[in-house]
Amino acid sequence: MALLDIKNLTLEIDGSSGWMKALDKVSLRIEEGEIRALVGESGSGKSLIVRAVVGAIPEHWRVTADRMTWKGKDLLTMSQIERRKIMRSEIAVIFQNPLLSLDPSATLGEQLMESIPGNLVSGRWFWQRTKKRREMAIKLLHKVGIKEHKKYLGAYPHQIADDIGQKFLIACALVSSPRLLIADDPTRGMEITTKTQILKLLTRLNKTRNLSILFVSHDLLAISSMSDRMTVLYCGQTVEDGKMSQLRKRPLHPYTKALLDSAPSFRKDLAPKSPLAALDGTIPTLQHLPIGCRLGPRCPRAQKECVRTPELRHVQDHFYSCHFPLIREREKQ
Amino acid sequence: MANLNMYQEEFHPSPLVHTWLEFRKSHIAVLGLWVLAFFISMVIFGPLIAPFDPLMQNPNAFLIEPAWDANGSIRHVFGTDSIGRDLLSRLIYGCRMTLGLSILLVFLSMLVGVAIGAIAGMSRGVRSSILNHLLDSIMAVPTLLIAIVIVGILGVGLVNSMWAISLALIPQFVHNTREVVRAEMQKEYVLASQLDGARRFHLFFYCILPNMYEMLVVQCTMALSVAILDVTALGFLGLGAQPPSPELGTMLSEGLKVAYKSPWSIALPGSAIFLMVLSINVVGDGLRSALRNRLSH
Amino acid sequence: MTALLNVEELSFIQKPGGSWFKKVSGFQLEPLSFSLNAGETLAIVGENGSGKSLIGKLLVGAAKPTSGNIYLNGQKLSERNLKQRCLSIRMIFQHSNESLNPGITVAKILEEPLLLNTQLSQPDRLKKIDETLNLVGLLSEHMFFYRHMLSDGQRQRLALAKALILNPQIIVADEPFAALDPSVRSQTINLIMKLQQDLGLGFIFISHNLGIVRHISDRVLILQNGKVVEKGKTDAIFNWPNNEYTEKLMKSHQSLVTPK
Repeated sequence: MALLDIKNLTLEIDGSSGWMKALDKVSLRIEEGEIRALVGESGSGKSLIVRAVVGAIPEHWRVTADRMTWKGKDLLTMSQIERRKIMRSEIAVIFQNPLLSLDPSATLGEQLMESIPGNLVSGRWFWQRTKKRREMAIKLLHKVGIKEHKKYLGAYPHQIADDIGQKFLIACALVSSPRLLIADDPTRGMEITTKTQILKLLTRLNKTRNLSILFVSHDLLAISSMSDRMTVLYCGQTVEDGKMSQLRKRPLHPYTKALLDSAPSFRKDLAPKSPLAALDGTIPTLQHLPIGCRLGPRCPRAQKECVRTPELRHVQDHFYSCHFPLIREREKQ
Repeated sequence: MANLNMYQEEFHPSPLVHTWLEFRKSHIAVLGLWVLAFFISMVIFGPLIAPFDPLMQNPNAFLIEPAWDANGSIRHVFGTDSIGRDLLSRLIYGCRMTLGLSILLVFLSMLVGVAIGAIAGMSRGVRSSILNHLLDSIMAVPTLLIAIVIVGILGVGLVNSMWAISLALIPQFVHNTREVVRAEMQKEYVLASQLDGARRFHLFFYCILPNMYEMLVVQCTMALSVAILDVTALGFLGLGAQPPSPELGTMLSEGLKVAYKSPWSIALPGSAIFLMVLSINVVGDGLRSALRNRLSH
Repeated sequence: MTALLNVEELSFIQKPGGSWFKKVSGFQLEPLSFSLNAGETLAIVGENGSGKSLIGKLLVGAAKPTSGNIYLNGQKLSERNLKQRCLSIRMIFQHSNESLNPGITVAKILEEPLLLNTQLSQPDRLKKIDETLNLVGLLSEHMFFYRHMLSDGQRQRLALAKALILNPQIIVADEPFAALDPSVRSQTINLIMKLQQDLGLGFIFISHNLGIVRHISDRVLILQNGKVVEKGKTDAIFNWPNNEYTEKLMKSHQSLVTPK
């Protein structure tokens, strides 16, 4: 059974020109122990999905879904208390810009020790419990690869580097040994060496603890090196969904292809200084979304039918939503 | 259907228009703006509207009650004062004097304040910190007190009190301008124009001033309400405008002598001051929140 | 033949300063030299705080070097004469958003360098603005826009237009693509490469995105803590790194590219 199963999630935001569909029938399924990547540019709604999952959606937005379940339990009809319980014990979230999500007025040690729930620490007297907490905090830090625990437990957030901050947040997230870790663009703006460290850490956690990871980012390089499956979003619509290796070898949707082509690192055969393949135009804003397939106006293969929203189709377990996928050419040839 | 949007035209207002659109969303602020516009029209068209000369004394009509009173007459809508001057005309001229003077004062102190503030903000080192700390310490003293001290030195009179109030208002402008200029100087586009070879003069007028209008508008409304209160207070204390002239504060203190017999002669100028200051504050507050909303978008 | 740009023994030492309570340790950029030919791209790579942005600032004159000289077409650039320098070396900043004034229209933003550095008349200036806008793929109508009305990609184009409007010979770009989405980024890269070919611009590109560096640069300069650890042809450095740090960089890049 899937851990998290979302089918046709639609999220509408009340704007000046009526209800706008910020997410339009997005489906996402995370199996036990897999690393699932969620790729999209800005405005694709990837952060909105994260917020919908953790339940941080303002009251006046409309969320509808055919199915949104956590281990078979419906998240949408669940009471707030139950939902928070799940959030506390089974799903953990880490955000981009780690230093902003830490409390600047408390040391890292205090924050980490405080996040350890009371039922995990035994001991009769409070000093015993504090000692226990400290031991657990140190153990956690070692787990995420911070060796100099003495130096960092007493440090304040502004004294530490970005990557240590992110590792520290991962440590905080691991406190309650969650089943799913949602990483919302954790490597944004990081340098390549620190980025690889964080990615390696996440991969290792996935292997050793069988932790499922939902990795949200627009950085294809980071994603492709670690994830098993990938979901591509564009302007709130699912574009393509499938195994990472398959997607990279043979993308079916023009948008996925354009995304892959935009990273010159993927193409060893590309002559230096040759023009890169790029889509025309810019990402439309939420107020001015085209109808039908939202890639329509920018798509090189767009035709008349594209004003209808394409259905999600699939070839084995490779899903795509396009009227004119790149598959046809091959059949003709 | 109120809002049929056939074409999804991208509508991007310029910063000032955007601020106006945000401002319009608040009904109270718009109401305040209307009231303020009413007073300003009094300032401009006052002599055309006023039925009598404000200084003309009518020996036949001492202390006539307002028109809504049983003893009142429609000839003097707001009644007359103890020496038979028409209160409506005096009020209109009073608004003209108080508000008009205040606007002038604020404008004057804005020019001086922004100039000093710009110099303070763009220079570094001792000069800047002297300007800054000196004026900041002046800001700690209430403007009215400063004005009274200055009037005490220069002597009583309308012109002297005007100098006093505008001098007292300057530090706020200096302080705020300096803050904004400091903040803007850190931004990359200022660095970019410096690299283009921009001199300080150019830098201020082309790069920084366009981003300062909003601060100035908000600051002006705040200074305006302070200026009105100061002008009337000095008039009331007998330090500013002198008795025969129709200034709202002076009118209040004159009316005080006959307050028991004709309460309207203090109630009317008092409520005029109240409405004026209230409307200016409401407008200023609306502007501030409009700006905040605009920036948060 | 002299190179377009010649930098000799350029160094920068920041004095250790700060107040009594908080000591700020000084940063030191060790002397470095390089040269750049017309139509060539030099990439400067290094981690945060390695001084790569500082080199850009030294070149355009936003910071004063402690020692060393910069020669343009064999002619020495003086520290004082910013005008001469800004006619030939222009900078594109990291955040196109912050380098454009929000309070004035696009036309005014572009007019500013012309006003300050040329004697063009008003109609000539407008013509030049129009031409430059078209050159970077924007429309003439954009002249009346304000900054907030443009998308990220358009802003980056505008920043490029602002750099190009004085017909410079060299453009220094500090992380110009970092804030752009991939699909828009490719457009901008293509545009820059095309302009470089057409106009014969020398391009100094400061970045930590190795994929793009590899694609667009001819030569690479690798910095670590204010020291040049390696420099040479892009191809050679990417394939046969000589330095330990370079090797580490390339390895982490490689580990990202190869699929799991």
